Amino acid sequence: MQAALADTADLRVWDLPVRLMHWSLAIGIGVCWWSGVNNELEYHTYSGYAVLWIVLMRLYWGLVGSSTARFVNFVRGPKAILDYATTLHRRDTPHSHGHNALGAVSIVAMLGLVLAVVVMGLLAVDVDGLYSGPLSSYVTFKQGRHIAHLHYKWFNILLWVIGLHLAAVAFYFLYKRQNLVGPMISGKRQRQGDAGEAEMKVAPLWRFVIGAVIAAAIVWAVSIGFYF
Amino acid sequence: MSASGFRRIAAAAFVVSVFTILEVSAGPAEIAQIKPRQDKLRDMGGALKAINDEIKKGRLDWDNTILPNAQTIKDRSVYLLNWFPKGSGPETGKKTYALPAIWQKNDDFQKLGKAAQAEAVKLNEIALKKDEAGLKAQVLATGKACKACHDSYRSPDYEKENEE
Repeated sequence: MQAALADTADLRVWDLPVRLMHWSLAIGIGVCWWSGVNNELEYHTYSGYAVLWIVLMRLYWGLVGSSTARFVNFVRGPKAILDYATTLHRRDTPHSHGHNALGAVSIVAMLGLVLAVVVMGLLAVDVDGLYSGPLSSYVTFKQGRHIAHLHYKWFNILLWVIGLHLAAVAFYFLYKRQNLVGPMISGKRQRQGDAGEAEMKVAPLWRFVIGAVIAAAIVWAVSIGFYF
Repeated sequence: MSASGFRRIAAAAFVVSVFTILEVSAGPAEIAQIKPRQDKLRDMGGALKAINDEIKKGRLDWDNTILPNAQTIKDRSVYLLNWFPKGSGPETGKKTYALPAIWQKNDDFQKLGKAAQAEAVKLNEIALKKDEAGLKAQVLATGKACKACHDSYRSPDYEKENEE
């Protein structure tokens, strides 16, 4: 009975933690962007901590999470990336299960850029020397001001990569007729023809909870500048 | 004098007066304000950061750090409003974060400057008294007074290259 159902039921592709992290990261970056541009630096600091926590969690989940979340399962070498890129113009390519080889590049780039921008924010100093990053006491005023400008420049690069990510999602939807947004909400996508596709291996939730506590402890330590 | 001769003289007088006005509005004296004012404001920001760092570290070195830096902020703030003579804004062609609004809404600018001076005086008093309980709140109040002016009258960081 269960096997028969599995043949017709949707295929699970993203687990709950991945979906929550994805959308909360999108919201978190939005809040950081707004508060940064409007110089609401108190909110900017807190939203920055939230983004740091999410990125740390995503890195952790990339090691011990469900199968489609793990870096070993989707980060590919240059050859696989090129091979995939050459099929990009075709409309009949099957759905990738999880990230495709090219999308993986953008995931790694985005995560890396977010982490880099957050780390620069931790060291950045505002013009008033008031709402500086929690680690800014380790740099001089001048260094911190310099980092604040880099923080902004690198965020701009991140925005371009996010723009590319959104353009790719639109491209898959319009050209390849593949809806990538739906699965990121529901966690499931339709099976394609034969039932031979591999099911996602779900990681237990307790593993997420352990990581959440550790990541929160790290963010807390950072937020007090490691002055225990 | 012929009409055309008069017209020529009037035109010349007009050109001279325009040049004079330009000269007055962005002369060398005004341009000369920009760099030292940036240096002095940077010292003040650095001084507030130094005090904030002490609070972050949780050990307050009153004599070597808090007091001299509070003194720097107070001393500099006395001259704050002298550093922005009319004509020392972006019209100089020099790189400055100072916005034209400083001179367009000068009453408000002066008001914010005086408020910052008052907070700097209070910060210095707290430093002299070594008032640990009051320090954090007054650092916040002082920084917010700086920020109030910067939010309205200074270009945001991201609109300009880093100041050197």
